Amino acid sequence: MDTRELIERLQLKQLNQFKHRSIDGVFISDMVSDTMARARPGNLWLTMQTYKSIIPAANLVDVAAVVVTSGKEVPAETVELAARYAVPLLWSELPTFELAVKLHALGIG
Amino acid sequence: MPECPHTWEMTNIRFGFVVFEKCHHCGRVRTFFTREDIALLGDKYREGTHFWSRVENAQSFRFDLRCRSCGMLEKFDDLMGLLYCTACRPECKVDILRRELEAQGTHVVLACGFLTENRRRPEQVAGHKIEMLASYFNQRRDVSRSRIAVLPFDLEDGLSHCMGEFLHDVGMISQEPPEIRKTPLWQ
Repeated sequence: MDTRELIERLQLKQLNQFKHRSIDGVFISDMVSDTMARARPGNLWLTMQTYKSIIPAANLVDVAAVVVTSGKEVPAETVELAARYAVPLLWSELPTFELAVKLHALGIG
Repeated sequence: MPECPHTWEMTNIRFGFVVFEKCHHCGRVRTFFTREDIALLGDKYREGTHFWSRVENAQSFRFDLRCRSCGMLEKFDDLMGLLYCTACRPECKVDILRRELEAQGTHVVLACGFLTENRRRPEQVAGHKIEMLASYFNQRRDVSRSRIAVLPFDLEDGLSHCMGEFLHDVGMISQEPPEIRKTPLWQ
């Protein structure tokens, strides 16, 4: 599945413009250091962290997309940085666990 | 025998904190990595002529790189962290290079060693390690879309002016959201 289909099926909000790409697994963490150490390229990164350093970390790991969960407000500078680097930034009002369950049901993860 | 082309993987991952200490006598700053469960701020002590106080901590990790093919292991205990160059002063040499490289789809990361009380700049990370880091990050990604360039910190004129973004977790043990930094890293 790619990010385009995922957005449609889970009604995620797309916060910036980017080229859609395929998803290979899910990684859940609210720590940049944990993500840098253990996330894999192509992962969908679920996090409640909204500080702008998530964008460089996502870019460095080369995740498929960052999904900010639990309806947390994303600062404008985080969105701007994501737009600048074309890092897919998505948003969901669902708590991380609920979103993870839905992803599992879709066969992702 | 042909030389191994090396395919790097991260190994021996250890989570901890990078602690920033400042001497309130001379104003120097130094950093170190600790595996303490909680690195509390405010700890003060005297060491020779210095009066150190913990002024900041950031959750971070240490790692080594190992080649999947030949087993070669390189330790990165001297790497304090990676600094993502996003924008800076127009005259910054790193930023000039960043603008050139980003136009070609390459993102710039600085490898930053630890700060010691004897220097105003971080210790240098060895050149061969910087090359390994670049290989590691690029081997993992689809480089037809973008690449990562890892540079040493010595390109930066003055650390006190750097506006880069450290890839650390600052304030994760605080109940307060992190402050948006609008000033250079250290002043």
